[in-house]
Amino acid sequence: MSDVVMAEIRKDYLYHLVLKGERADGRAFDEYREIVLETGPVKKADGSALVKLGNTQVMVGVKIQPGEPFSDTPNKGVIITNAELVPLASPSFEPGPPNEVGIELARVVDRGVRESGAIDLEALCITPGEKVWIVFIDVHVLDDCGNLMDASSLGAIAALMTAKVPAAQYALGEDYPLPVKDVPVATTAVEFGDAIIFDPDTDEESVADTKLTVITTADGLVCGMQKSGPGFISQDHIYRIVDIACERAKEIREKFLEV
Amino acid sequence: MDRMDRNVVVPGDQLSDDPKKAGEGTYVRDGIVRSLLYGMASSYKDKVRVIPLAGKYVPSPGDTVIGTVQDIVFSNWIVNINSPYEGLLHISELPRKIEMNEMSKYLRIGSSVMVRVKDVDSTMKVELTMNDRRLGILTRGRVAEISPTRVPRLIGKGGSMINMLKKELNCNIFVGQNGRIWVDGNDDDMDLALKTILIIEKEAHTTGLTDRIMEFLRSEKEARS
Amino acid sequence: MIGMDEKLSFFKDGLRLDGRRPDELRPIKMEVGVLARADGSCYMEMGENKVMAAVYGPREVHPRHLQEATRAIVRYRYNMASFSVEERKRPGPDRRSNEVSKVSREALEPVILTSYFPKSVVDVFVEVLQADAGTRTAGINAASVALADAGIPMKSLISSCAAGKVDGEIVLDPMKIEDNFGEADVPIAMTPSGDITLLQMDGRLTPEEFRRALELAKAGCQQIYEIQRRVLVDRYSHVEGEICEEPSAAAEEEI
Repeated sequence: MSDVVMAEIRKDYLYHLVLKGERADGRAFDEYREIVLETGPVKKADGSALVKLGNTQVMVGVKIQPGEPFSDTPNKGVIITNAELVPLASPSFEPGPPNEVGIELARVVDRGVRESGAIDLEALCITPGEKVWIVFIDVHVLDDCGNLMDASSLGAIAALMTAKVPAAQYALGEDYPLPVKDVPVATTAVEFGDAIIFDPDTDEESVADTKLTVITTADGLVCGMQKSGPGFISQDHIYRIVDIACERAKEIREKFLEV
Repeated sequence: MDRMDRNVVVPGDQLSDDPKKAGEGTYVRDGIVRSLLYGMASSYKDKVRVIPLAGKYVPSPGDTVIGTVQDIVFSNWIVNINSPYEGLLHISELPRKIEMNEMSKYLRIGSSVMVRVKDVDSTMKVELTMNDRRLGILTRGRVAEISPTRVPRLIGKGGSMINMLKKELNCNIFVGQNGRIWVDGNDDDMDLALKTILIIEKEAHTTGLTDRIMEFLRSEKEARS
Repeated sequence: MIGMDEKLSFFKDGLRLDGRRPDELRPIKMEVGVLARADGSCYMEMGENKVMAAVYGPREVHPRHLQEATRAIVRYRYNMASFSVEERKRPGPDRRSNEVSKVSREALEPVILTSYFPKSVVDVFVEVLQADAGTRTAGINAASVALADAGIPMKSLISSCAAGKVDGEIVLDPMKIEDNFGEADVPIAMTPSGDITLLQMDGRLTPEEFRRALELAKAGCQQIYEIQRRVLVDRYSHVEGEICEEPSAAAEEEI
């Protein structure tokens, strides 16, 4: 279960391709793998989505239940995001509570949802100071073939957009669609020498030292960012990634989220 | 009921009621020969055997394999050979004499090597050797990985498939028993080689494959020129 | 929710609430080889149950001290996704999933030829994505196919299902509502020749009722076995010939 050292001959090959402007699977540097999105696969959940990004597969489930608000925000609903990197998804995932990678994934997905204002927290208030709706976003990774961040974020917003508040079973009125006011989309790229590669697969992620995720809203605002990995990132690259992120996210919204 | 109707069998499928026929990949219980594996059942020289369609590589003495150095521990390089068992390459198994403090300089972590399995003992300690002019450190070319169960098909009867590929692709190709394959040639030829190898892996269980591959290569090369 | 003064009847004209006969399984869907990273995988739906099973192995055991000198160890981890049940479940193992993991492992171990891979581990992971009673049986069915998909040598596949007692009737493959209000639940697993590798029971049954439940569950397992076998065989359905007549001797290669 420990990580295998990648053969240098493979690393050399990937760099060699990048110098020629190519990638191992023939994609352009800013090209995404095929995306398949299925909403509502888990009918028992209040919202759900299965995302396939190339061979990466992530299932996101949304459960909405009444609960107590936080004491410092008595009129606001609560969002709780968790990510499970279950061992079935990769030879390097071990059973146990989320490690720093899983926690980071959950917090960045959460950031996109929260900072974009996608969910109107005040609208989730039932009785101020006593009862509010708690929205649980649970990311369940099924197959890690690179770029869990974008797949998980897409799954989260798709699940939220098709979620229903189950008011009836709590005698709080009729069920109604969860009001979603924005559509945050994450775009991730890795730095590879002088090149920036979007939607990295497993090998590209292992070889690169630096990764940047940029989350944008439907209006083209940047609402979340995360640089991860032990390397440097140049300012030029950051600006380029932000520009391309806005374009990519718009395409994904139009194609998959009907926005 | 003997389940050899379409040749694909699952563990437990009945293959024969004659225990004398039990070959590789089968077991006998209550006088019935059954499959141990998910694979293809076939008759070979009076025996019924099952060739696996999936499974890991288990090292066997005499196998030539391609490995990646993972670590250096005392006088051994620890080599990943795409198996549940790692291989040990001892400092004395090189073509020339190396001092212990020169080990990393000679062969570092991340390097790829072509080595032979010298011995596998009862504790699954796998000893490798590089002491042969046909073995060595891979400094150029590319390494691909296929399921080790498809290696016999990639080599072909008497080497028929692999020799055809080497000729048509103008590449040096070496197939490790552990499913790793080294190719060396110019970029375009290596691209085609790897593409072809993946097709062979996928269609290993079908008939007429060698001819189809030859056709495929001819048309790819025509398209290029 | 059902009012206290209403008595829910589980049968109407001899059929159950979802239209099944007492001896009928819920609809089953199985797909093999659905995950790229795992060595073997199987996705299964059994009624409203949705489970994903994956196998990694044989592979090196970590931590090392768990390894056994003469055989592979088998590990099985059954886990439920937070969103898989009615009320959101806290992630992570609990006492129930721990027990399910143990008995499921013990349902598969008898047929796995662990002596072929000393000092290694065969890891089986089952994730429940949606639960509707019978997740452990669905998990075992999917795990069995995933093990074959990974090329693990086994004496046979293992098939699993449950029988229960509802409104005085013995029924096959109870769904959640039947399980919640039923009088007994008997999950089993077995080889195609009828050797039982999993047997649990809770509730109240006369010995005669138990016998009927067991026979019914066994019949259900037989049906499931045919589906498991079919999904594995159909994967290579365009098969016509042999891989290569000669046993695995490689031609000597020159560099």
